[in-house]
Amino acid sequence: MPALWAIAKNTIAQAVRMKVAAIFIVLLLILLPLMSVIVTGDGSVKGKLQTFVGYGLSLTSLLLCLLTIIISTYSLSSDIKYKQIWTVVTKPVRRWQVMLGKLLGIIILDFVLLAGFASIIYGLTMLMPRLSHAGPDEMVQLENEFFTARASVKPLIPDVRNEVEEAFSKMQDQGNLPQGMTPLQVRQQLYQQKMLEKQAVPPGQAIAWQFQDVAVFDPNQYIFIRFKYDVSVNPPNMSVYGRWIIGDDRQLAASGSSLKTPIYAPPPQSDSIRTVHELAVPADAVVDGYLGLAFQNLPANNTVVIFPTEDGLEVLYKAGSFQGNFIRAVAVIFIRLVFLAMLGVSLAAWLSFPVAILVCLVIFAMGSMSTFIFESFDALEGSGSVAYTLILKPALNLLPQFDKFAPADFLIKGQYLSLASVLGQAGVMIGIQGAIVLIVGIVIFRFKEMAKVTV
Amino acid sequence: MAGQIAIETLALTKIFTDWWGRSKVMAVSDLSLQVRHNEVFGFLGPNGSGKTTTIKMLLGLLKATKGRSLVLGGESTDPKIASRIGYLPEESYLYKYLSARETLNFYANLFGLAGDVRKMRVEALLDMVGLGAVANRPVGTFSKGMARRIGLAQALINDPDLLILDEPTSGLDPIGTRQIKDLIIALAKRGKTILLCSHLLADVEDVCDRIAILYGGKMQTQGKVKELLEQHGKIQITTKEMPAGVVSQIKDIIEKQGGQFQVSPPLDRLETFFMRIVEQAQAQNQSTSGAMNTGQVEQYLNLTSKPSSILDKLVENNEAPVVNREPIVTEKVETAKIEPDRVVLKELISNAQPPKTEAIKPQEKVKVEIPKPAVNRNVLDDLVDPSNAGDK
Repeated sequence: MPALWAIAKNTIAQAVRMKVAAIFIVLLLILLPLMSVIVTGDGSVKGKLQTFVGYGLSLTSLLLCLLTIIISTYSLSSDIKYKQIWTVVTKPVRRWQVMLGKLLGIIILDFVLLAGFASIIYGLTMLMPRLSHAGPDEMVQLENEFFTARASVKPLIPDVRNEVEEAFSKMQDQGNLPQGMTPLQVRQQLYQQKMLEKQAVPPGQAIAWQFQDVAVFDPNQYIFIRFKYDVSVNPPNMSVYGRWIIGDDRQLAASGSSLKTPIYAPPPQSDSIRTVHELAVPADAVVDGYLGLAFQNLPANNTVVIFPTEDGLEVLYKAGSFQGNFIRAVAVIFIRLVFLAMLGVSLAAWLSFPVAILVCLVIFAMGSMSTFIFESFDALEGSGSVAYTLILKPALNLLPQFDKFAPADFLIKGQYLSLASVLGQAGVMIGIQGAIVLIVGIVIFRFKEMAKVTV
Repeated sequence: MAGQIAIETLALTKIFTDWWGRSKVMAVSDLSLQVRHNEVFGFLGPNGSGKTTTIKMLLGLLKATKGRSLVLGGESTDPKIASRIGYLPEESYLYKYLSARETLNFYANLFGLAGDVRKMRVEALLDMVGLGAVANRPVGTFSKGMARRIGLAQALINDPDLLILDEPTSGLDPIGTRQIKDLIIALAKRGKTILLCSHLLADVEDVCDRIAILYGGKMQTQGKVKELLEQHGKIQITTKEMPAGVVSQIKDIIEKQGGQFQVSPPLDRLETFFMRIVEQAQAQNQSTSGAMNTGQVEQYLNLTSKPSSILDKLVENNEAPVVNREPIVTEKVETAKIEPDRVVLKELISNAQPPKTEAIKPQEKVKVEIPKPAVNRNVLDDLVDPSNAGDK
């Protein structure tokens, strides 16, 4: 389609010669290398790289999102305002082709810019360890915890239903059921209480977990126990002294003495509370995807240690390469840009530039804190508002959730970002949300009176 | 081509409403119009008479409130029909950041023209509108007249069967105006249909076969230019210079018959005079940073094959505009000779060139000559309403 292509090319020319693109490009070209020099993180090479990749990608994402919003809302609305559209739609071009051409141009521009800046970030990330004076230990740590893509497994959820029922019937028998609560609410409270108990270790005692589906593909690699301590009483030096045992505990019960696979028991160590720590263990501790794990809260601590249910404990193992992960993380940013371009072009078809860009920015901001927004609106639902359930909630489903899926976080943690989840993102944001928004815009544009004077 | 009609409107009506949907302005009212194939049709009327609104409805830029319009036998928004239409809006709305050549390439691509044809057309059109030397300059830096030339070039990029020109000569210098008129005549000879919308009556008079005059969104009159303008009961004789004796003999003969008689040398039209001066300057190679008069209308036309003997002759002659003057002068002889001169003169004398005020004066003159000055009072009242200003 030469017409579609001509409009796309014209849109790119417009964006490039509009100067705003140039400002963003220059800004990134200065900031990214500067950042690579001045970031320090926690002082280690790993911390430096984490900070650089995190901020670098987030900044690139933010600036390109803003650029996309500006260009996509400006391009079509200015054509309408300055009437160039008159000589375009009177040519043998369908109106939806005009919109898709604009969209195509913006997407191509985004692709080129994103590819360029991602390459710069990647190049600097590769260069930074070489320029630093890191020791071999630090380099190994970097290789294991940063230049990797690790999948994570959480421990099996303990079954506490029987305990809950027992406690419930006990309360019922004793007539201790709290006033003003339904049985369901009582059970829910009991469940939370029991779960917390399962994650709490009093001083001197131990706790064990089982992990399954730890898909280690190279036994010579390491697996990583990632944990975070919470405490009932703050210890004097704000750290917990604990002992970890890692391996297949099933063989202990079976045979007693001879071990077929190793069980690792590193010496007790002290780790600060409320901070995420990692413990590297050779991967041969895993047997057929099974891993046993035990923690002893040494008596010296004198406090109950709690592993938060959210991020208290998980096992990480290498599932892919850093390069692959980086490309997929950048792809997530690209999906965002495509969605914003669809939104901007669609809004510009019927709103003036200032209104369209405002709406776009509001949606971008809402998408960037969607978790908060969804939670606040869910509180509304509790009050039984029909308007919310019928109108607002379906509309909210069109809101993209940028914050739920922050690509930079995956790279910072060295966490494996699967292709399936990237494609899932693309399907929802482009295939459903973006497509609906765009189709609405196309229909409105189809019936718009181009020469209508709007005051 | 379906039948003999290129453009047909049936009771076309456009009412502009305000934000609440209340009717505010009756821009076009019950307009029924027929433009035949291969006809130069002049669409006249003062500012705000509904000319541009009608054109926009024809092109699908506005939706008719009532009635319908057929362009080349179908809807103008149908790509098959649209690919045969060339449209020049009342102002050249161009992408300021594109150069002249990029602009034409862009429009050529919208028509899906293949590479070779596109390049040839673009270069020929750039030469034709005299912008070959500044083809790589962004059109945002162009003067209004230069932008107008690019606008005209984009309207011709697809070699259209139907050309819709809205105020094509606004902002153009006399050379450009003259070129456009020559072009219109040449295109008409090649079988094209042209709808020319203007309030510069001299332009319309020179080129149009038929005209329609619109006032208050209503058709006031339409017909052939010659028939509408003919002064009944008068004839005009033009001869070479004669000895005084011969003239007085003729005078005697005429006065014996009870006729009135006047002797004066025929005046050149100012347009012709102006063209001559500029051509002299060009012959002396004086430089200009503006548009060049290259006289290459014919080259563009020849590119689209169909060799015509008249056009071939014109190509050989570098002074094409002067040659083309002839049909215009003969027309003048048959109609009123002196009045159009004054119109052009007025245009040229005033430096500010506010086309609106000038255009209205000759407008009134023409109206006097129209045999049917039936102006609807109600419509006039509508028009006096200040909300009616502007040609929308």
